[in-house]
Amino acid sequence: MLLVPCPNCGPRNASDFAYGGESHVRPNPNQATPEEWRSYLYMEDNPAGWLKETWYCRSGCRRFFTVERNTATNEFREHPIPGTKLGGKA
Amino acid sequence: MSLLPGKKSSKPPRYSAAGLIVKGARKQNWPRVWRDVPLKKSYDVVIIGGGVHGLATAYYLAANHGITNVAVLDKAYLGSGGSGRNTAIVRSNYLTPEGVAFYDRSLSLYNTMAADLNLNVMFSERGHMTLAHTDSALRTMNWRAEVNKLQDIDSSVIDPSEVKKLAPSLDTSSNARYPILGALYHPPGGTIRHDAVVWGYARGADHLGVEMHQKTEVLDILVEGGEGSATDAHDGKGAGGKVTGVRTNKGDISAPIVVNCTAGWATLISDMAGVKLPISTRPLQAAVTEPVKVFLPTVVVSGSLHVYVSQTDRGELVFGASVDPFNTYSVRGSLEFTEELAGHVLELMPGISKMRLLRQWAGLCDMTPDYSPVMGFTPVDGFLCDVGWGTYGFKAGPVSGEQMAECVATQMTPKLIEPFRLSRFSTGALVGEKGAAAVGH
Amino acid sequence: MSNSMRLPAQPGEVIDRSRRIDIKWNGKKLSGFDGDTIASALVANEVRVVSRSMKYHRPRGYLTADFWDPNGFVQVGDDPNVRSGHRLIEKGMTVDPQNVWPSLDYDVKAANGLVGRFLTAGFYYKTFIKPQRLWPVYEKVLARFAPGGVVDLDTPHGLYDKRYAHPDVVVAGGGPAGMAAAIAAAEAGSKVMLVEHEHHLGGHLLWGSAEDRALAAELTAAVETAGVEVLLNSTVTGRYEDNWVAIAQRSHPQAIERLVKARAKMLVVAPGLIERPYVFAGNDKPGVMLSGAVRRMVNMYAAKPGSRAVVFTGNGDGDAAASDLERAGIEVARIVDARNGENILAAHGPAKSMDSVELADGTKVEADLLVTAVGWTAPTSLLNMAGDRPSYDANAARFFPNSPIDHVLSTGGIAGDGSHEELIEHAVATGRLAAARAAAIGHRLQAATRRAASVDGEAPAFAADDRPILPRDPHPELFRSTTHGIVDYSEDVGSKDLMAAAAEGYDSVELLKRFTTATMGPSQGKLETVNTVAVLGEARGETIEEVGTTVWRPPYAPITLGALGGRIHEPARVSSIQPWHEANGVTPILAGAWIRPEHYGNPESEVRNTRANVGITDVTPLGKLDLQGPDVPKLLSQLYTNKWMQLPVGSVRYGIMCAEDGVVLDDGVTGRLGDEHYLMTTTSSGAASIWEWAENWLQTEHPDWKVHVTPVTTGLTSINVAGPKSRELVSRLVAHAGDGAIDLDGEAFKYMQVRQGTIAGVPNCIMWRIGFTGELSFELHVPSGHGLHVWEALLEAGKDLGVRAFGLEAQRIMRLEKGHFIVGQDTDGLTKAPSTGMTSLIKLDKEDFAGKAELAWAMDTPLPVVVGIQTVDPLIVPAEASQIVREGTNEILGRITSSRMSPTLRRSVCLGQVAPESAAAGTELTVVLTTGERIKARVMEHHAHFDPEGARLRG
Repeated sequence: MLLVPCPNCGPRNASDFAYGGESHVRPNPNQATPEEWRSYLYMEDNPAGWLKETWYCRSGCRRFFTVERNTATNEFREHPIPGTKLGGKA
Repeated sequence: MSLLPGKKSSKPPRYSAAGLIVKGARKQNWPRVWRDVPLKKSYDVVIIGGGVHGLATAYYLAANHGITNVAVLDKAYLGSGGSGRNTAIVRSNYLTPEGVAFYDRSLSLYNTMAADLNLNVMFSERGHMTLAHTDSALRTMNWRAEVNKLQDIDSSVIDPSEVKKLAPSLDTSSNARYPILGALYHPPGGTIRHDAVVWGYARGADHLGVEMHQKTEVLDILVEGGEGSATDAHDGKGAGGKVTGVRTNKGDISAPIVVNCTAGWATLISDMAGVKLPISTRPLQAAVTEPVKVFLPTVVVSGSLHVYVSQTDRGELVFGASVDPFNTYSVRGSLEFTEELAGHVLELMPGISKMRLLRQWAGLCDMTPDYSPVMGFTPVDGFLCDVGWGTYGFKAGPVSGEQMAECVATQMTPKLIEPFRLSRFSTGALVGEKGAAAVGH
Repeated sequence: MSNSMRLPAQPGEVIDRSRRIDIKWNGKKLSGFDGDTIASALVANEVRVVSRSMKYHRPRGYLTADFWDPNGFVQVGDDPNVRSGHRLIEKGMTVDPQNVWPSLDYDVKAANGLVGRFLTAGFYYKTFIKPQRLWPVYEKVLARFAPGGVVDLDTPHGLYDKRYAHPDVVVAGGGPAGMAAAIAAAEAGSKVMLVEHEHHLGGHLLWGSAEDRALAAELTAAVETAGVEVLLNSTVTGRYEDNWVAIAQRSHPQAIERLVKARAKMLVVAPGLIERPYVFAGNDKPGVMLSGAVRRMVNMYAAKPGSRAVVFTGNGDGDAAASDLERAGIEVARIVDARNGENILAAHGPAKSMDSVELADGTKVEADLLVTAVGWTAPTSLLNMAGDRPSYDANAARFFPNSPIDHVLSTGGIAGDGSHEELIEHAVATGRLAAARAAAIGHRLQAATRRAASVDGEAPAFAADDRPILPRDPHPELFRSTTHGIVDYSEDVGSKDLMAAAAEGYDSVELLKRFTTATMGPSQGKLETVNTVAVLGEARGETIEEVGTTVWRPPYAPITLGALGGRIHEPARVSSIQPWHEANGVTPILAGAWIRPEHYGNPESEVRNTRANVGITDVTPLGKLDLQGPDVPKLLSQLYTNKWMQLPVGSVRYGIMCAEDGVVLDDGVTGRLGDEHYLMTTTSSGAASIWEWAENWLQTEHPDWKVHVTPVTTGLTSINVAGPKSRELVSRLVAHAGDGAIDLDGEAFKYMQVRQGTIAGVPNCIMWRIGFTGELSFELHVPSGHGLHVWEALLEAGKDLGVRAFGLEAQRIMRLEKGHFIVGQDTDGLTKAPSTGMTSLIKLDKEDFAGKAELAWAMDTPLPVVVGIQTVDPLIVPAEASQIVREGTNEILGRITSSRMSPTLRRSVCLGQVAPESAAAGTELTVVLTTGERIKARVMEHHAHFDPEGARLRG
């Protein structure tokens, strides 16, 4: 099982976390065009490589954080940072 | 653009029991199932992905539209992706009318496939049961059954005693942790030999002149005149551009039409044309047990317990579950998958605790936000997609090929795949299969 | 007869001749000794045929006589597919052959063998094509040929268990190298777990020379001294991400099988080598055995596998087998030495035995035993799982690990050859390296955990790999003779099949494997993979290196579903009132994680009593979040579509929450208890997800907001008191003066207000007036420790008022009469907020809220609408999910989402979703009943069928 690096709890089993998906910047809902908003909602970079993504430490400190992971190897990079991007859209 | 019918190759011997006896008696080998020919410099259509979708598209281009100057490229071997890794379940009892119509066509193509392709794909119409453990799940089953009935699909909700009759190994007692309150029963559903479908289409397409190229990896898609891709605004890719060909590890090929029929790599291929997709790639894991004497005659699915199971004619139980909880392109299996799977299977069939898990594997699934595919034209002229098949691509292989072939040949979007066009993700007109999201296979 | 093939005492035997054990084989009694495997007991009792092959039903005897023997599968009681070469005999064990019909001795399906020429691999793809309708018939016949044992569906779920372990080093394999590595790692300070597949430590030393056995004993003693934890009869079945190591422990004293999950800092792979069979005509005849099998039989179990042997050898193990046989008094008629270019062509004999061996020089040697020693397969599975792709060394005729992996090391035979001294030296170096790296990893893990104790000192460097390199002994490449034979024993696939398939175009390993099923059987390719690759190479005129190999997939050895599933314990939640429900005739219903009261016998009467008098219901599963802080109103405004900045203390408000795509996520009421203190309720199923949704907004988009969110769903027991007499009932239990007093007067405590106080003597209760049922009602949230007390107090105090409990079903009926929709039932995964008809609750003039952008556009888009529906015939209740269609067609316009016979109105009432053009009040609808009958229904003006003005609940 993958070890996910929580900034507070350290590396813990992935089953302790909820996955929040790619971290996208939320457009201003009052200014976004439908295309921009739906691109935020639905479009994904989905690279086979380094991906900035959100995790939630569900069974630990209950913090959202952003981290970079290589989706080809599942290796994590750098130290995770507490989240600044909305993790998931629902 | 010229899409003239190509010259058909001469017909190889047909498969039959008599043929087996003759070949056996004469100790002869059968001819190659598909030819091994050098890659040409240009084709009318290049199809990326040698799985069921790509091969079916090629087959129907040749068989229905006479377009035979076609190359199917696969970076590994035919059927090496999702086509060879799925659990080979077919059904048409979907939730939405558009889903039902689409998969019903697929099922009818599967039904006549053995004769159409002269290869036994071992379609086993053994019935398909989706269990309901809660009243809300039962309500969804009823919803599906009612939509299905209006479209003449054999589908109904049955009670626990009928469930027990169809699959005596299931625990239908009311004191189960997840009691079986009923099931959506779909007699025409069943299983099929997935590899045989791949080989059947490949052989059929080959006979009509289509070329299959294995170990041929697409490195780039050649596009001119576009407004630029996400990574490079001046590369001529993206919306408004026009496809001129593909670059492969075996050289460049020119082609006015390139069809992306990949699963697991759909984003990476589309990126090469500068077309962004609403796809996240997740592994779907599966496993088999050692063989035991056959005791499970139907396909059993439990949405709440995220498990589906069928028993092959060889006696192995084949298990699947839901996609992994996070995006990845890695197909290494996980232990937690087998643990959860076994726990849930034993909830359903407590008597099989002594059976042993023999092998586990994973395949990549391209998930879309509305659990429906992306099919047809893209903002890049000549670049078409048949992607985003989530966990249900195998079931849709034949009809996807048929419809994509029509799309390529007529340059119009066939009605059956209109709901699945890419533009729905900017208009917001998503497909309603999400309503049944809790129910997988 | 009994033990007729038992040799005199052997110096290395592991059986205890003083303890005789009787078992039943194939219906007949026979006896062995304690320590015997089923295989050794059978061989010692002159049993030569133990199974029939899968396709041709050929008689088969032991080939490898260990766990991997493809011919050794037997049924032991209710346990199918037992490896008889591995399972030890026990008193009273019943062992039966599998895959035989009608019997092992006479098997009618063996006729398949006669037509084998026509039943080439993959034959079924080419036949049974026409007529297609007959395929199901053929299929049933084929299914009868399915191999394997029988599952007894009444098998009870015995005790299976799991264990988490956190060793520094796991060593997979307890042979000399594994033991030496484990000792070295432990002596270097690591916590070590040594896992051995077999019943004894020692590996191949156990069937070796006196010197070998002495070394095994010495190492075994040292393992104990070093404090290594040893798991015998246990297999490392998989290496998963970040060294998550799965171990199937079959030797647990209580559990049938236990899954040990070890997060190993380092994994040392030392499984030794698996001997490979030779492909030649008759290579699956009973009497053909591999050298290791013969040596185990003779040296460890004193069982005599034959009387006159031919030994075909290409290595020292074959030579040793010949001398072991001679020492044990078994005649060795001929040694055929592959290193001198000698070869064997065929094993001959009647159906169930062997009587001679045909050599390449044309001679025929009489023998009932043919021993082959042609080389090894490196079981690199665990390394494959860690990302390694082994590469082939033609000079040594086997695969070796290729790329080094930081956290996984290999040693022993898998890594190379050499003398005992060289191998032990390599293993010791491996153990030390593993220990050093484990220390560095441990330091790093602790430093990365902010909440852990701070680590001492500098991080140790990640030790470099400076182990000696093991030599590789040259070995002749021996895969196939000039004749054809079986390659995959468990699948009955021969070299001829493989070549024919390759010629047909299935000429890559993966295609060949899929087409012929070679390597796909229960032996998992352990014996067959390399020979398959070699035969394919022959067919393609390529080297093994060029052909490449298949990927070994987990598990390394099969593991029971019982062990993987473990103890089945998925807990269900119940409220503090559950004992009362159970004592009072409840019919329970499973709702998500909860078990709830559905009704207490008659839900219609529960409805009537609540509408006429007063009823109480347990709504504890309602999600509850305690919100505190100055910025709670901002959070509420962000989550709900309506406005929250001005909610006065003491008031509650209803709201809808949407996802960013405008789809309804959840709904519920939130009350303001104090200046900076709120209680939010969510749907039962949303309890967990809405908590996370709130945290998500707080932590990511608005980290500056000061709000604490605490889930209190189970901390508060929730009781709804509903009905015209509810005020009277509650007033009898609340404090009327002093601390905790609540004034229940209709003017002092209005609809949609909240109060806190003492109820039935319980302080700190929260009570609000809402009306899901449509009645005057008070929802009490009581500290759970007192939930049952308050419930019973209500029943006691309200006896004369006619108070009765009601269940979920009555509540659903009443809410439907009142037209309150349920998120997830009357809405679905695509229902946007305007569809609910609650457009007045969507405040687009707010600066921001979840889903705002989509809702702004949705306001102008035609969307399906949730409407109240009544059938024209009041007695017909269309089932939920009945479809609404365009008259005279099958075009779907909507569906009934909720329906019940209303005990209050004595007619059927429904909610449904319909297309916008059919949503106007008075529209006539066509509803298709589940029977197919079509009936008429009408769209109503309101969702509410009963008391649309809300006079009752405001009372």
